[in-house]
Amino acid sequence: MDLIVFYLFATLAVIAALGVVALRNPVHAALCLAVVFISLAALYVLLSAPFVAAAQVMIYAGAILILFVFVIMLLSPGVDQGAGALKWQRPLAAVFGLALAVELILVLASAVLPAARGQYTPERLAQIGDVQAIGALLFTDFLLPFEITSLLLLVAMVGVIVLAKKRVRS
Amino acid sequence: MDLLNNLFVNLYDWLAGALHALAAGLNLVKDAENAIVAAVMSLVVIVVLLLWLVLMVLVLIWLERKNAARIQDRVGPNRVGPFGLLQPVADTIKMFIKEDIVPTNADRLVHTLAPIVVAAPAVLAFAVIPWGKGMFPVDLNIGVLWVVAVGSIGTIGIFMAGYGSNNKYSLLGGMRAVAQMVSYEVPQVLTIVAIVLMTGSLSLNKIVDAQSGWGGMQWYIFAFPVGPIAFIVYYLSALAEVNRTPFDIPEGESEIVAGHHTEYSGMKWGLFYVGEYFNFFLVCTIAVTLFFGGWQGPLLPPYVWFLIKVYALILLGMWIRMTWPRFRVDQLMGFAWKTLVPIALVNIILAALATPILKAIGLI
Amino acid sequence: MPDAQTLTLISPELLLSIFGLLILLVDVIWREKSQSALPWLAILGFALALAATLYIWGSNISLFAGMYMVDMFSLFFKVVASLAGILITLVSIDYLRQRTPYRGEFFAIFTFSILAMMLVASSASLLMIYLSIEFLSYTSYLLTGFLREDKKSNEAAIKYFLYGAVTSAVMLYGLSLLYGVTGSLNLTDIAAAFSATVDSTVRMIALVSTMLVLAGLGFKISLVPFHQWAPDAYEGAPTPVTAFLSVGPKAVGFAALLRVALTALPQWVLPAPPPAPVKEIPLVLAVVSIITMTLGNLIALRQTNVKRLLAYSSIAQAGYMLIGVVAVNLTGNSPFSGLNGILIYLFAYLFTNLGAFICVIAIENATGIVEIPEYAGLVKRAPLVAALFVIFFLSLAGIPPTVGFIGKFFVFGAALREGWLYLAAIGVINSVISVFYYFAVVRQAFFEAPKDATPIRLAPLVTLSLVVSAALVLAFAIYPQPLLNLAAWSMGMVK
Repeated sequence: MDLIVFYLFATLAVIAALGVVALRNPVHAALCLAVVFISLAALYVLLSAPFVAAAQVMIYAGAILILFVFVIMLLSPGVDQGAGALKWQRPLAAVFGLALAVELILVLASAVLPAARGQYTPERLAQIGDVQAIGALLFTDFLLPFEITSLLLLVAMVGVIVLAKKRVRS
Repeated sequence: MDLLNNLFVNLYDWLAGALHALAAGLNLVKDAENAIVAAVMSLVVIVVLLLWLVLMVLVLIWLERKNAARIQDRVGPNRVGPFGLLQPVADTIKMFIKEDIVPTNADRLVHTLAPIVVAAPAVLAFAVIPWGKGMFPVDLNIGVLWVVAVGSIGTIGIFMAGYGSNNKYSLLGGMRAVAQMVSYEVPQVLTIVAIVLMTGSLSLNKIVDAQSGWGGMQWYIFAFPVGPIAFIVYYLSALAEVNRTPFDIPEGESEIVAGHHTEYSGMKWGLFYVGEYFNFFLVCTIAVTLFFGGWQGPLLPPYVWFLIKVYALILLGMWIRMTWPRFRVDQLMGFAWKTLVPIALVNIILAALATPILKAIGLI
Repeated sequence: MPDAQTLTLISPELLLSIFGLLILLVDVIWREKSQSALPWLAILGFALALAATLYIWGSNISLFAGMYMVDMFSLFFKVVASLAGILITLVSIDYLRQRTPYRGEFFAIFTFSILAMMLVASSASLLMIYLSIEFLSYTSYLLTGFLREDKKSNEAAIKYFLYGAVTSAVMLYGLSLLYGVTGSLNLTDIAAAFSATVDSTVRMIALVSTMLVLAGLGFKISLVPFHQWAPDAYEGAPTPVTAFLSVGPKAVGFAALLRVALTALPQWVLPAPPPAPVKEIPLVLAVVSIITMTLGNLIALRQTNVKRLLAYSSIAQAGYMLIGVVAVNLTGNSPFSGLNGILIYLFAYLFTNLGAFICVIAIENATGIVEIPEYAGLVKRAPLVAALFVIFFLSLAGIPPTVGFIGKFFVFGAALREGWLYLAAIGVINSVISVFYYFAVVRQAFFEAPKDATPIRLAPLVTLSLVVSAALVLAFAIYPQPLLNLAAWSMGMVK
């Protein structure tokens, strides 16, 4: 059952991700991105991380994507005609991209990733609750990155306002 | 009394039992039998829930029109059925048989998908609402987040409608709606955080259970000062989130025709319309669950209590709609970011500080 | 809540966060009245952070569940960061006054970027490395595009941002592979997981993911082929920011590279006893290093804008420093471990390159000149700047008696010790090439007649920082012992 759901959403995610890169209309690409985000959220649910799934939908599909869409509408770039780029860039990019893809697939397919399992098994998560587990980790082991992220977001916000706001001071 | 209190739970159990008995006749493996029964029962719940929601929407439409008429000193619908009760039904039939028009230069796929993307999440969100004691379709331990997350998908639908119609009014309305919904989602979620802080859980069932003291009257709205502040902020931002007057600039008819659904007709338009009422109903049920003890209450059966509270909030929303003029765009965004968000943030700090005290003096 | 000891050990970072926020707050509350005080607040913050770093000098401890190392290696970079912070703030006061009204935000963001440098240097987990490098990147993008009215500044920021976003995504993918293979974010645990398995495919994954990570770090360090942003970003950014970009991200890029290479991947990086062949990662780095220094130097020969010239020069310098990473070998008691070479080189490069940029700022501030032909006769107009230009260029080219020579000596020495003869040879040839373009500037300044002979008046703060960096460049060349000790101490982390 889980496997069926996994393949369903994994396929959907891959197809939509291809759509994001391949579609010429930026709005369509953005909508495909929404499908990718939501499919990923479904995969997180399968990994017994419903909190991450909900956060994924809320933040990525609900906020970040909307920002993308706003930027697209404000710039109204129209449909990409493929002009502008140097002629040899596309084929070259295709060759290199394909080479990298083949390399990665070969390497990753040949190896069984021997990663050690973490301490948070599905059973353990069901027992303590995944939200509680995330909360506890954020305020103990991951306290430093958590606080740094808040500073980072603050700086980004201040900077963006400085760069984008109307001239107020002379 | 007990029979009445647990009416729907008992019905569910009885049906599940009957199905088990039926399935037992097929001589299946125990696991397969359980899986089949569970699947059929979820299907039953889904169908019942959908029918119930459609019924609620019909009632809401009638109520809204009657109320509006009352406040504006008119009679309102009174021709179809007693007190015009069947008017929404007639309207629905009309919508079904109307021609479905897609503008020539519209982005067909996006245009067609938009109403579905708007209405479907609203229905999904109802899956976690505790309608009465033991009456919840699913108990997610992240219930509140589920509602918020699913609700944020609807925003994309509105954008799709605005963009896909290839009409400047649609696009303007769509962008307005998206900006507004994204902005008001922030205070809305932040007030929920205050409640979650007091409960210590994101599950809507646990939140309701936490309000069971005082014979079912220990509601968070009484948890002074956090609860009342949170409720006011929540309710205002919820009204804005569902684009109702005085926050209805996305479809301000005097400025941009009908906003994102200008180009829609027939059942597609109907889906937007129904979606709006789904959402309105949803935010009221959430408000009741978070602040008014959900189905908790003395004497009456839980589900009756729940409906009474929900309808009280709905009437409040209709009253506000009929008596307030529309905000201007900049006022609206300013109100969200400069008034509601700071209040909600302060309220979170208050909640963190006050929770131990409130617990000690027995307010929560 | 972390205990008092932890708080003491991260006090430099805490101080910088507090001062950054304080600058923002003071700027918001007092606005115009506070403008002249804000840079001094930043400088006070850097000075206190420097003092705090020296106070905890000698610590060697890992904090936050192994995520954060406070060791000599990181403290070394914290000293570098706070010194860079002080010098750059000093020279940006006058520069910004004429160019942007948002000086409070500038100094706040700049303080945070120095904080980010410190964080990168101490990071010992993949998560922290990524997060702090992103932190540094965001602040750098913002500072690069800070002159809103200036089209070049905007262009610089956009190019920088696009390159940065792509390379950091690639790096993140590499990090995720490392995590997937080893099941840990912690660098020491990753090393342990790698040494525990004998599976040959793990070696491939380690190699592939390291290459992907190298894309992100190479962008920060401006290695070829991730260097294209550098000339445009350097040219368009406000010049004090260019000075920062040329030393800050580069220094901590090396810090992160060394930390990952030596802590997480020692068995793929450190050389094995002689009969074993050269490992892949050093080999790749050697190739990158050769291309980087050669390309940087050759293109620099043709530049006429002094900021672009210094951009290509700094790309070439990154190539030299990379030799140290290639030749790193921590066994034995040789004074040429590679690691100390990089650290000394970075320290030397910090003052030298900053000094060169301060010269550029001094002239740009007074006259707006950034084109090399217009430097004609500079010695008559601003003798001090012209003279110091010579010192800094000597140091950049690695000619004694300057500190740049000592850096190159130790880096090339390590290459010779490890048998990378051709690498050292190419490095020396490149240094010779670099003399041509450095002294093209000097020739203009000393031997051409000025078109306009009016003397250039220097702002006192700029003069001060110029003299300080020049004095340091010469002082450490004459008495390099502290520098050698410093670098030797910093190596304690891996020994």
